[in-house]
Amino acid sequence: MSQRVIIVPCSGIGKAYGSVGREAMHQLVEEMRPGVTDTVCLSLLTLGDADAQAQVRDQPTITIDGCPSACAKVNVEAAGGKPAAEYRVYDVYRAHRELKVRSVSELGDAGRTMARLLAEEIAAKVDELTKDGGPLRETES
Amino acid sequence: MPILPKKKVGLISCSGEELPEGTLSRAATLKVLERLRPKDTVTLCLPLFLAGNDKERAFAKFYPTIAIDGCDQRCAARATEQYSAKPTASIVIPEFLAARGLDTPKTRRQIDAADARAVDALAQEIARRVDEILGVQPAPVIEPPALTVAESAAVTASCSCGSGIPVMRLKIAGKEREVVALPLILEESRKNNQSPDEVFDAVKIYNAIPAELESAYRDAIVRAYSAFNAPREKREA
Repeated sequence: MSQRVIIVPCSGIGKAYGSVGREAMHQLVEEMRPGVTDTVCLSLLTLGDADAQAQVRDQPTITIDGCPSACAKVNVEAAGGKPAAEYRVYDVYRAHRELKVRSVSELGDAGRTMARLLAEEIAAKVDELTKDGGPLRETES
Repeated sequence: MPILPKKKVGLISCSGEELPEGTLSRAATLKVLERLRPKDTVTLCLPLFLAGNDKERAFAKFYPTIAIDGCDQRCAARATEQYSAKPTASIVIPEFLAARGLDTPKTRRQIDAADARAVDALAQEIARRVDEILGVQPAPVIEPPALTVAESAAVTASCSCGSGIPVMRLKIAGKEREVVALPLILEESRKNNQSPDEVFDAVKIYNAIPAELESAYRDAIVRAYSAFNAPREKREA
């Protein structure tokens, strides 16, 4: 299995910031850093799936949380992983208070912008983790 | 009867990040929560439910639940059953799509126009099951008109996190057991000067009590009510 940076968003269904975190993950995995990043189902991980747990233990993992319960971080740690970095959507909002997410199911332009800003920040961290012996980038855009 | 949250149906979506079906599960669940049955449904983030405390887990004991899963790992159904109670209904998306002759969504990021048919069909099926569970007359699932930008900002899924149903643990038949909603029931019962029998009747509404343990439950609840009603100085002594 090739080494990748695993991005784990909380995907909280009851909070708009959960959707922002999920969208940021998709932007990273599918557009910004395809091939070098991947994701894992958080619920599967939390239920104790051996493959999912091995992924977060053996590969650098970044968590994205949408509320103070920090389910992504808590569950990665409970699975034996140690996040290489932890992000909170709320911190993006604190830095960009003009961005108001529309709703959980429809982020709106501001929500998508918030997700992009977060994804860009995480992409820089991914690059840091993947240089000098980190996971190899398989595709370059 | 104590003033407790309105009986609704809890929707537990797997929201699996790795699969297009996880996105479909999430999108259809949100459609029911926000548009089709906003007054009759609540949700809870599955990872929070898994990592949560007694209050979070009491959610599925208090509300009848529908688990919506994106693959045959059935994380939502398994978690609900493992930590709370067996879901009242369970939908596994690949089986649902096959039965309806619908295509599997192609991407896990966004729902496109072709996938929207699957979202609509799944959302309608969830709404139908909500009606069935609540015992309301099955009605055609009519989607309300599209929301304006301002309206969609105001409509959001009803999330139960942080407002979990309170529970109390009692020693019953030699074992610590959770009694859902007991703190609220005791409070209401004392306010209304109700008898221990009335308290027990209220407890039975919100908790499935095995017949063989009914007498032990009754004794423990009567003791708890008595302690709750004791003068403060006596309770603190």
